[in-house]
Amino acid sequence: MKIEVLYPEICNLFGELMNPEYLARSCGAELVYTSLKEKPKFITEDIALVYMGYTTERGEEAVRDAFRPYLEELKKRTDVGGVTLFTGNIIEVFGEYVEDDGGNKIPMLGWFPIHSDRHLMRRYNSLYLGKMGDMTVAGFKSQFGHSYGDVGEGLFTTVRGPGLNPDVKPEGIRINNLMATYLIGPLTIINPPFAKYLLTLMGVESPTLAFEDAAMDAYNTRIEEFSDPKRGFTY
Amino acid sequence: MGKSNAPRPRGSRLFRFYIALWVSKLTIPVLKITHHNGTNFPGEVAMKLCPDFLKYVARPEKIITVTGTDGKTSVSNLICDMLESAGHKVLNNRMGSNINSGIATSMLAGATVFNRPRHDIAVLEVDERSSRRVYPFVHPDLTVITNLFRDSLMRNAHPEFIKSFLDGSFPPDTRLILNADDLISSGVAPENPRVYFGIEKMDTDVVDCINRLNDLRVCPKCFGELKYEYRRYHHIGRAKCADCGFESPAYDYAGCDVDIKNMSMTVRDGSGSFKYRLLSDSVFNIYNELTAIAVMRELGMEHPAIQKLTEGLKIVESRYKAERVGDVDVIMQMSKDRNPLASSRAFDYVTGKPGKKELLIMMNNLSDEVDWSENVCWLYDCDFEFLANPEVTHVICTGPRARDYYLRLLLAGVPGDRVDCVRNEFDAADKLRFEPGSAVYLLYGADNRSLTMAFNVREKVMRLAKEAAEK
Repeated sequence: MKIEVLYPEICNLFGELMNPEYLARSCGAELVYTSLKEKPKFITEDIALVYMGYTTERGEEAVRDAFRPYLEELKKRTDVGGVTLFTGNIIEVFGEYVEDDGGNKIPMLGWFPIHSDRHLMRRYNSLYLGKMGDMTVAGFKSQFGHSYGDVGEGLFTTVRGPGLNPDVKPEGIRINNLMATYLIGPLTIINPPFAKYLLTLMGVESPTLAFEDAAMDAYNTRIEEFSDPKRGFTY
Repeated sequence: MGKSNAPRPRGSRLFRFYIALWVSKLTIPVLKITHHNGTNFPGEVAMKLCPDFLKYVARPEKIITVTGTDGKTSVSNLICDMLESAGHKVLNNRMGSNINSGIATSMLAGATVFNRPRHDIAVLEVDERSSRRVYPFVHPDLTVITNLFRDSLMRNAHPEFIKSFLDGSFPPDTRLILNADDLISSGVAPENPRVYFGIEKMDTDVVDCINRLNDLRVCPKCFGELKYEYRRYHHIGRAKCADCGFESPAYDYAGCDVDIKNMSMTVRDGSGSFKYRLLSDSVFNIYNELTAIAVMRELGMEHPAIQKLTEGLKIVESRYKAERVGDVDVIMQMSKDRNPLASSRAFDYVTGKPGKKELLIMMNNLSDEVDWSENVCWLYDCDFEFLANPEVTHVICTGPRARDYYLRLLLAGVPGDRVDCVRNEFDAADKLRFEPGSAVYLLYGADNRSLTMAFNVREKVMRLAKEAAEK
């Protein structure tokens, strides 16, 4: 079993490279890395999970340009149930455009039915608490803007914190087994139930996570904290 | 008392400026009486009444500013101490904050009621994000940029973002003193005059990155492949892009022959080579010392005079304090919270010390815990892997994020039987074993609540260490 990490040389902010590492450690998968100059391996190889994490604003455009020739291949993979996870601002790269502070519309890959805004003088920081079915998901957001558009139910349903933007409940995007969320950082480590869900989708039977007890202890503590209505949610 | 170099306000601005100066000055004794020292309030008042206050407030003859992700406080303190030893009257903001209102507070305190400077030189530490609100008005003669790394992600996002704050914020004649071993910060404001410092290859250097945190995995110009000649840690070292040829600049001030055993370093520049005593054996502080020496050279001082100034210097104790109790060393080591670089460097330094050690990990940001919940993403950019070292015999995680630290340590390869997890910081101290011949490190964060907690816990640790020594 292989997990492909796309563009780790620029998509590596906020500890996010630990997401594929943690999943790989939990199921014995092989990690394969694909740089900006390479053709993604999921096109020619059996890849259980494709992962891409947060990048800089300049990095978003580099990812867009590097990935454009392979977008249709990702759509095909998604149509047949291939598992993909995008975290942080990668969701914007697959949207229609990003509008910057000066009103310039930077075209993106145009797959997801969203557009985003970017205000470099306004960093939006928040905690996040949401649901995916019966599963509770906790996380962090730290971004320069939000996304807008009809994403249906999204990936998560917001309980506290902003959804895709502060005015909506759906957070992220889900197309079959492709999942994209604005949540940042070691999302799979912070959310062991979500990590197990991903592993199950990848074909791992009855998955057990690395240091699952310790991960669950930290998760339960965090869920309790984030569920406390007295706790502030924005920074 | 000298003549100010600042432009003189005209017309209604003159009136507005002096009202701002006098009213804000009046707030200083009031704050002192009410025990509110070190606040930004006077500067905030001044800038509220006169938004371009920093432009008109009296400037000493020379202004040196120091910025960068890490080391700016240490470098500012070193420069300040050296200049004071050389007989200068130095204005600084070490008791205040490093944002624009903190700098305004320091500047107004350094001006007379007639707006004349009381000092002949200013050394100001400046927060990177305040660049555009400070440099165009303060107009520094020299600016040091120590380095740029990822820092608090909530505020600073990533180094490219912080670099964008610095680019274009300096007046055209501000001379920059830059770290040639950092391909991010060495490229700031390319239109400004500049000199570079750096440390030549050391025995401990590597080529491939062994750290989790690496802010420059590809060429900053073309995303091409970077080939390192030598790498000190993270992205610090000398590199060249295999694709476009972009490379690290040459050193104007080169630290060479660094000899940790004999605590010495040679500094080579256009005028020759001179040997200096090392103030600290940590590479980070060697950079800080070299930076301060480069500043003195740029101010026109000769090496023998600078050598003399370094003789009595010390790295500020609040960041590193060691005390021997019986047969155990108790060491306070600041390990800045929410900053993966500072903690990685602290872990590397601590584990590089010989002998067995116990660690009390309490870098929680306690202020965050009051307002929301600390964002723990930085733990996964930080090299906890250094602690999976057989000489680290015991680690105690404590504070609100104890469970997050515990999980991170396990993932870093620290055996579970060496780790304790205790929520209450004072109870955590009870778990220390004080093995004879070992060292006990308290790793603590930098926010005010965490500092207070750390020093209170230290008192208990010292008491327990004494009790253990008497047994």
